[in-house]
Amino acid sequence: MSISFRTVSHLNEDQRDALAEIVNIGMGQAGAALAQVLGEFVILSVPRIRLVDSQAVPETLAELVGAETTVSAIRQPFHNHLHGEAIVVYDEHGCRDLADIMGHDECTDERVEQELLLDIGNILAGASLKGVGEQLQAEITFSPPSILATHVPVERLLDPEALDWSYSLLIEVNFTLEARRFKGHLLIMLSEDSIDTLVRDIDAFLESL
Amino acid sequence: MPSSVPEGLLEFIVDRINVGILAVDRAYRIILWNEFMASYSERPAREVLGRDLFEAFPELPRKWMERKITGAVVLKNFSFASWKQRPYLFRFNHNRPITGGIDHMRQDITFMPVMDGQGEVTHVCIYIYDVTDTAVYQTMLQDALRRLAESNNRDGLTGVYNRRYLEESLEYEFTRARRYGHPLSVLLLDLDHFKRINDTHGHLAGDEVLRQAAQRITSAVRNVDVVGRYGGEEFLVLLPETDSEGAQVVAERIRSLIAAQPVVYGDTAIDISTSVGLATLDERMAAYTDLVERADGALYRAKDGGRNQVVVQVAGE
Amino acid sequence: MATKVLVVDDSAMSRKMMIRSLPEGWDVEVSQAANGKEALEAYHAGKAEVMFLDLTMPIMDGYQTLEVLQKEGLDCFVIVVSADVQPEAEERVKKLGAMAFIKKPVNTEKVTEILKEYGIL
Repeated sequence: MSISFRTVSHLNEDQRDALAEIVNIGMGQAGAALAQVLGEFVILSVPRIRLVDSQAVPETLAELVGAETTVSAIRQPFHNHLHGEAIVVYDEHGCRDLADIMGHDECTDERVEQELLLDIGNILAGASLKGVGEQLQAEITFSPPSILATHVPVERLLDPEALDWSYSLLIEVNFTLEARRFKGHLLIMLSEDSIDTLVRDIDAFLESL
Repeated sequence: MPSSVPEGLLEFIVDRINVGILAVDRAYRIILWNEFMASYSERPAREVLGRDLFEAFPELPRKWMERKITGAVVLKNFSFASWKQRPYLFRFNHNRPITGGIDHMRQDITFMPVMDGQGEVTHVCIYIYDVTDTAVYQTMLQDALRRLAESNNRDGLTGVYNRRYLEESLEYEFTRARRYGHPLSVLLLDLDHFKRINDTHGHLAGDEVLRQAAQRITSAVRNVDVVGRYGGEEFLVLLPETDSEGAQVVAERIRSLIAAQPVVYGDTAIDISTSVGLATLDERMAAYTDLVERADGALYRAKDGGRNQVVVQVAGE
Repeated sequence: MATKVLVVDDSAMSRKMMIRSLPEGWDVEVSQAANGKEALEAYHAGKAEVMFLDLTMPIMDGYQTLEVLQKEGLDCFVIVVSADVQPEAEERVKKLGAMAFIKKPVNTEKVTEILKEYGIL
């Protein structure tokens, strides 16, 4: 498969490194929050950062999450200093595992299942971005999460025609539960103007070191 | 807050804003109850302040709320709930004339942790947004869209799916089956001597035959199977997750069900039967049209072989 | 004599922050490594009396590094510096022989406190 995303041209080596580390610390806090809620040990991934064209979003998602995966996902807009959307993508095992851990019998009731996906997504997105914001000394405010899609092929999760930006910064981290099949991906998508804000923040941050 | 805000103004706003606001301490005692909450619940602040939330409102989903409140306390994070998953938390009347069938006020809920100077959560503030209008609108819109989509997909005469929808389903199921290596079968049916029925008994009788045949086909298949009218007197049945053997059983069931009894139209009983061509996905097929073509070839041979029979595609054909 | 300190992290910025957080006046000779493999090489070359070790790294992560060190008979004071702040992560690295655990982001106060606690300063 040929991937047509551009590499992060906006960011030099130092900026990219700094962003990865800032995200890393944010997701560490999200991982701890998740571990606390689920009572399970969470394995964290190394963050992946991509600057993508909106047309290339479906294939980039497939590349990050795994092609031919059926997924459910929630979205949560954030605004204030940075704005964009956090998207949490769960594979099919994710839901069943979550229901099991939370003591539901199965994922039979669709509403219960969706509520669980929303709650866990809110925890991951909230804790990660709060951690990122703290390091950049920036306030980030959240809107309520909503269901983006359930049980769809990952390629169909986002329709490029429905995105109103031409390119975006995509940050992916994933959370795996040890001894279970659960895997959740947190994607942070920043709008074009927020990328510039972020780059300025990172420079200020690097300067302060 | 800037000190220029006149004293009492913030309290006034919190009290009068058109959003329900309440706050509880760590022991679930109510410490704030604004006018919105008071008027919709018909329980004034003086009656509920200081009381245990769940003791004052035993109808609340206690386990669920404790989980939300604990989440906000422990994780120091906002927590949300939407009417889409849980229509309401407090059972309030919505006082609206046009309801779209909605009984009580639909509510979106936000749980906000309130922290002291040391960063410890001392209280949780709960906002109740009245989203009944949105819910009414969305429910009506969804119903309309569902009806529209449904009518766009259906054949007007027989009520089974139309050719456009069949082709979409074929495309989707073909791609899926190819990708995951799952079996997929297609039945193509042509009612025998349909032209003669039309000529002998008239077009209205022919229409009734088509309706009856569609009903009999539908009653012989599973919910996941897709039945549609492919052309004049041709029907197509799409059988996901079904190999050739399974499809033969279904095809035979349809054939015998259709021939089992005549279609009664007015005083006339019209004998009907159908020929069936069956094809199953194999790895040499590049597009769903190959699959349909193969079924069409088998159907031709069923006609040729004397009608009222099922013919399976020959391997390597 | 200067204490030999090894800072292990895949992020250059994170190493820089760590080095900046070392207490002023502590006589040290600092080396750096970007993953567990490089860390072990530096350790074998005698460059690590005190090691500040990150957990999430490519090639060889902090857990794997600790396992190797433990097998070889740990002769080094390892302080894990991690963004993974689950209590269980701390328990696990301590079982693998790490002496202390510092939560990222690091600062001089946190580092000084730990070093004093263990009598290194």
